[in-house]
Amino acid sequence: MSLNAKKIVIVVIGLFFLCSLLIIGAIESNKRVLGKKATIKVSAVSKNCVECHSVKSPSLVEQWRDSMHAIRGVACMDCHEALKTDVDAWEHEGYTIAVIVSPKDCSKCHAQENKEFQESHHADAAKIIGSLDNVLAEVVEGNTGRLGLDGNSPAAINGCWQCHGSVVKIGKDGRPTPATWPNTGIGRINPDGSKGSCTACHSRHTFSPVVARQPDSCGKCHMGPDHPQKEIYEASKHGIAFKAFKEYMKLDAQPWRVGIEYTAAPTCATCHMSATQEQSVTHDVGRRISWNLRPPISEKIDAKAIKAGKAVESWEQRRKNMKNVCSKCHSDKYVDGFYIQFDSAINLYNEKYGIPSTKIIKMMKAGGVLTPTAFDEELEWTYFYLWHHEGRRARHGASMMAPDYTQWHGFFEVAERFYIHFVPQVKEACEKAIHKKGESAATAKEVLKELDTILNKEEHKWFLGKMSSDEKASRKAAAEEFKKRYAQN
Amino acid sequence: MPIPKLNFLLKWTKERIPVDVQDLKSISNEPVPNHLKHWWFALGGTPAILFCIQIVTGIFLLFYYVPTPTEAYDSVTKITHEVRFGWYIRSIHKWASELMIVTVMLHMSRVYFTGAYRKPRELNWMVGVIILFVTLGLAFTGYSLTYDQLSYWAAVVGTEIAESTPLVGPLAADFIRGGQEISGNTLTRLYVFHIVIFPAALAGLVVLHIIFVRLQGVTQFEFERERRSRHRTYPLFPDHILTEAILGILILYLLTMMAIIFPAGLGDRADPLMTPEHIKPEWYFFASFRWLKLTNVYIGVIGQIFFVGVIIAWPFIDRIFENKFPKAELSVWIGILGFSFYLILTIWEALV
Repeated sequence: MSLNAKKIVIVVIGLFFLCSLLIIGAIESNKRVLGKKATIKVSAVSKNCVECHSVKSPSLVEQWRDSMHAIRGVACMDCHEALKTDVDAWEHEGYTIAVIVSPKDCSKCHAQENKEFQESHHADAAKIIGSLDNVLAEVVEGNTGRLGLDGNSPAAINGCWQCHGSVVKIGKDGRPTPATWPNTGIGRINPDGSKGSCTACHSRHTFSPVVARQPDSCGKCHMGPDHPQKEIYEASKHGIAFKAFKEYMKLDAQPWRVGIEYTAAPTCATCHMSATQEQSVTHDVGRRISWNLRPPISEKIDAKAIKAGKAVESWEQRRKNMKNVCSKCHSDKYVDGFYIQFDSAINLYNEKYGIPSTKIIKMMKAGGVLTPTAFDEELEWTYFYLWHHEGRRARHGASMMAPDYTQWHGFFEVAERFYIHFVPQVKEACEKAIHKKGESAATAKEVLKELDTILNKEEHKWFLGKMSSDEKASRKAAAEEFKKRYAQN
Repeated sequence: MPIPKLNFLLKWTKERIPVDVQDLKSISNEPVPNHLKHWWFALGGTPAILFCIQIVTGIFLLFYYVPTPTEAYDSVTKITHEVRFGWYIRSIHKWASELMIVTVMLHMSRVYFTGAYRKPRELNWMVGVIILFVTLGLAFTGYSLTYDQLSYWAAVVGTEIAESTPLVGPLAADFIRGGQEISGNTLTRLYVFHIVIFPAALAGLVVLHIIFVRLQGVTQFEFERERRSRHRTYPLFPDHILTEAILGILILYLLTMMAIIFPAGLGDRADPLMTPEHIKPEWYFFASFRWLKLTNVYIGVIGQIFFVGVIIAWPFIDRIFENKFPKAELSVWIGILGFSFYLILTIWEALV
């Protein structure tokens, strides 16, 4: 090749090279403007979905593109594909799909998580549909008749079921009925018979563990006057630490183990689900809980199962599991001390308020002093508030170290409810029944006797003015000492 | 006609750096033998150009890479997705490394099949073989730095193979790992090998390699057509330099196109607690990997050490063959056999 030829070759290839650099620049600016990431391979089948829905529901598609599913090549049809025999299958643009992706569908790849979830109480959340709470939503607050939606109470549809989950019904058109869907309640009963909804915590379509690990995810449902876990967490030192050091939490790390990937603070997930060095992550949220704080009288979490003759993980083992998490930041003595304090609070609630009030109400219902209709008398609401609202607040507050919830939103209001509302109302109802001289008069007399026995117990004596002189004296002495200690002069 | 200001500048420089430009030109304008006009003789310069590209792109990557187990993967992700043109630099670096290994092997084949390793060039051949292994070492250590699943586990398997070497295995593995098991030390160590030890060694070896070539001259031999030409050489400046320039710009263009069409990707974050189902090294180790799978650990490792020994000592082995069987051209046949064996094992591993 002559010298001139070589020079020409250099210029030609050089021009090609410069053009390629222009392409590089275009790619770079494209990335910067649209924030696009590396190309994702989509199966041919799902490509059509992506193309159309990029226009129809662009955010949905972008959220999926940001997900780990997209990076791993899991696209639309991998989750939404349905068999023609599926009860919720329908024909959409030439494809047989189902809109609801149930935990059974997710278990194709996430079998372990689904197995743990199905064994948990989260999966049973829709059990509420058979409970007293549902009577409230369907009858007391709402209506299933002329004001109902397909025979369901709008209060339940928009309220209770959105957290607890609906029973999804398929209408004549092959689509879920509007009363039962949309619904992503965590205990949803799906058309394929499976329980639950993974998207309740792992919001679609990004399904990011960052969202699931965020306390706000739990807080969608675990909040409010009857179980203010979110508010309690935020008032506790744990929640304060999380707020202060959120940037160090590495919420997107995988694995995500307290004490290893992050050490700044615990979240809900940290204690109740996530991995430690010794424990792997579990989707059975009951595995680290020792008390059941839900019912009128708290019992250990394995009590029901033991009564039913079922073998489950013992409450002692579950407490050990939880202590394993605590031990990442706290010494054993500290943790043990906390549990002693916590147990004493539950014991106080049970013995002073839960057991007595429940016994009274049971007697009154059985003996006809209270009508068989739920919530038609003030006393029933009083009792409900006592255990379901204030009583739970006191117990939950103690369980997660929020002293104000334990005291002022808790035991203070429990006490007020009990002494100033429950006791007088019981007395009034019984006296009415006795005055009527009907069938329930005898029960009413027994109830009053029982109430008297309760109020004469050591913890209630003060109410009757019967505090012992010894106790009075020691209380007075303590008050004097503190006055002296904190005197202004 | 030089402008007055330029004259002044030249005079100013010459008074302070007394070098005669004309002398310099005549010293360095070494006549280049005609056969170098054949393009497959440019295979030696190509890896050198690629090495320079690797150093430049490597330094840019160094600005953002963090060599700790917790930060490495994130820093590579940052380079790929956030840093301006980071994906381009990283893709160039990746493809240039693959191309460098290919061209070093091709150059080695060219030298082998043209018998350019024979006396008096045996020492240069051995320097070249060491260059090949340092290049492979650079590739291995560089690949381990991304700290994704494949890269981490490839490093684990690599150190385990090293460990199974008889006698020196455990010591060698401890040295590579920085301890008895893979830890933060390992990544730091591989990092130091990749950015300091191997590049410095390679630079020194390449300089030595070129010195040898200049001392001994490029192997002189000619083809039928060239015997008729009057001149047996052609000038380094500007002819051969332009050839090298064509090569350089062609490489840059090719690498850029590879970066556009096949940008460097990243697998899952390395998880020491989760062994992936299929661990595979990079393609240049496929033959070695397949060989180890076919044989037991002793034949596998010792066999490869033997193979390497034969390659290094080849000029001397070849001399024995030449003396015993002068016309048979055994070296060509053995070369074809050896190369085919490497190719077959590589393709086998790739397909299975």
